[in-house]
Amino acid sequence: MATITINNLQKNFGEKRACDIEQYIINNGDMLGLVGNNGAGKTTLFRLMLDLLQADNGTVQINNIESNRSEEWKKITGAFIDESFLIDYLTPEEYFYFIGKMYELTKEQVDERLVIFERFMGDEVLGQKKYIRNFSAGNKQKIGIIAAMIHHPELLILDEPFNFLDPSSQSIIKHILKKYNEESGATILISSHNLNHTTDICPRIALLENGKIIRDIDNKEFTAEKELEEYFNVD
Amino acid sequence: MAAKRHPMFEKNRFGKFFVYFMMLFWAGYFVFFGVIFSFAFTDIFPTMEPYHIMNKGLLIVLSIDFLMRFIFQKTSTQEVKHYLLLPIKKKKLFNILLYKSGVNGYNAFWQFMMVPFATLTVFKIYGIKGIIGYCLGFYLLMVLNNFWYLLCRTLMNEKTVFVLIPITFYGILAAIEFALGNPISTATMNLGESFIKCDFMSILSFLGVGLAIYGLAAINRYLMFKNLYAELSKSSDSKIKRVSEYKFFERFGEVGEYCRLELKLLFRNKRSKTMFRMSCFLIIMLTAMLFGPSYDGPVGKSFVVIYNFAILGIMMLTQVMSFEGNYLDGLMSRKESIYNLLRAKYYFYCCATIIPFILMIPAVVMGKITILMLFAYAFFTTGFIYCILLQLAVYNCKTTPLNESVIGRQATGTGFQSLISASAFGIPLLISNLLRICLGQTASLWILLISGVILTLTSHIWIKNIYKRFMVRRYKNMDGFRTTK
Repeated sequence: MATITINNLQKNFGEKRACDIEQYIINNGDMLGLVGNNGAGKTTLFRLMLDLLQADNGTVQINNIESNRSEEWKKITGAFIDESFLIDYLTPEEYFYFIGKMYELTKEQVDERLVIFERFMGDEVLGQKKYIRNFSAGNKQKIGIIAAMIHHPELLILDEPFNFLDPSSQSIIKHILKKYNEESGATILISSHNLNHTTDICPRIALLENGKIIRDIDNKEFTAEKELEEYFNVD
Repeated sequence: MAAKRHPMFEKNRFGKFFVYFMMLFWAGYFVFFGVIFSFAFTDIFPTMEPYHIMNKGLLIVLSIDFLMRFIFQKTSTQEVKHYLLLPIKKKKLFNILLYKSGVNGYNAFWQFMMVPFATLTVFKIYGIKGIIGYCLGFYLLMVLNNFWYLLCRTLMNEKTVFVLIPITFYGILAAIEFALGNPISTATMNLGESFIKCDFMSILSFLGVGLAIYGLAAINRYLMFKNLYAELSKSSDSKIKRVSEYKFFERFGEVGEYCRLELKLLFRNKRSKTMFRMSCFLIIMLTAMLFGPSYDGPVGKSFVVIYNFAILGIMMLTQVMSFEGNYLDGLMSRKESIYNLLRAKYYFYCCATIIPFILMIPAVVMGKITILMLFAYAFFTTGFIYCILLQLAVYNCKTTPLNESVIGRQATGTGFQSLISASAFGIPLLISNLLRICLGQTASLWILLISGVILTLTSHIWIKNIYKRFMVRRYKNMDGFRTTK
């Protein structure tokens, strides 16, 4: 299982500090929601964790492996940030099999693992004979999320997973994520602007502002929503 | 402004310098042509004025210009989508784009040839007025050619079969010219002269060309309206009839999976597909050249055989990682996927050398080249040339759009890309010929073969080295790929 330790992590874009976290630990099996206004640094933090950006300072350790020094953590990690994760000239099936192959999964295993996503995909993803580039934004989002989960990662990182999804798909993915966390004990990190969804499924919520985690909210009793609504001035 | 504010504009200093240098070079060349033609035509055709000869050849100049536009110019329909959401009427927008295309500096580029030519040939008879009329008329013909090109290009974008339109058009003109006693060149000669004379006929000629420009612009505008939504939705492959699986690669594990990905990259994306087709066309042309008498010498033979093997690699591997820049984040979040990707690319393009190899076997049978030469250059390509080209995986940091046309946005690569592809083009020929001069043909081929085999057999080592260097530069590259997407 995956523990993430952040130490003195800093990232600047010119004058703007996009990430500034002194120390933060995400424990094994945590389901952490990352919330914050636009530009608060959520995606930057995810990119730093995934070694897609170079930190100006500090480290991110995944199971005691510094993510910028070794690639070992990649075996146990699944992530979907945006469309740049999708190979858009493949069909969804081809893409899932391709990702499966990267994790030594056979086609049959991939097919088996897709079963739990059947409701999530509806009739709009598989068997369409369409390249990913021709799917709607919502269906691309679904493909990305499924591909991130297909190898049953111990650490799952999803940036704005509810974006572009219709309400029923949002509800289904919430349940899938919750169930996956409970059954596998995987550590899950999601960022979202949707406070309801985040507080519904995340027992722990980190609130980001100007790159800093300004509040680490315990939401085991579903009490975070009020605090967050006050912060975001939601009437 | 779009070009100047592109993230790579400042970074690509070499590219900028190269573009300006080439522009200057061609401008100088055109001036040279203008001067040379004026003297040459006087000498070769003493009974006629040089501008008459130039005017007789107007159609040839316009045809060359037409072909050159395929390299440098894109259609206005391709540009329109950036402005569609602005509160401007579509008709006005199309008019602006067409106007922009009409006044594009490229249309005036031929003036570098025409002004000195007219000064040396027209001035002595018709004075400054003649020069102005001649150059203006020539400029208007280039604008007309611009809209003719746009029309053909828009139609060809819609369906490849429309390539028959310009072919038929120029074919008919050539047939009329040769079969009916040069009526076309006579007509263009008269047209050119009427520009020069600045009399009543000149006004009619200018008006005629102006009307033709207007007519072609109107047809272009109609086509832009018609094709706009097709261009925007890019719906040509929204439903695939048959999804090719290339199951053969399944037995080769993760590397096989990347080979399969490479094949899909080649055949499912407009840009890579065009580049692949161009490579195949060049391979066929080069093979055909081998059977002609022009390349019987040792230099000619080595030129044809080397590039026949290397051309596909030069076209595709100079873009290594640039196509992948579109989905690099996904690849980078998986362990060693780039290493396997590079290996797959290498093996794939090594296998692809079998095609020119087979095509050139008849030349071996006919005694045009030796079997040793075939093997030597094949391994020299897979060993030496590919080793140079794959170094670009470390330095390429500009995303190549998968479905833009080859001449569209971001058509040019980085400076280093240009340098490496130029090296991959020049150095092999230089090495093979230097060795041949120093050691003789057979010994040089054996050296190329042995060095090529060694580099091919040790490919896993230098590919690993490329991968390690790529990983050292990864943040810089990822940033580049992201900002140029």
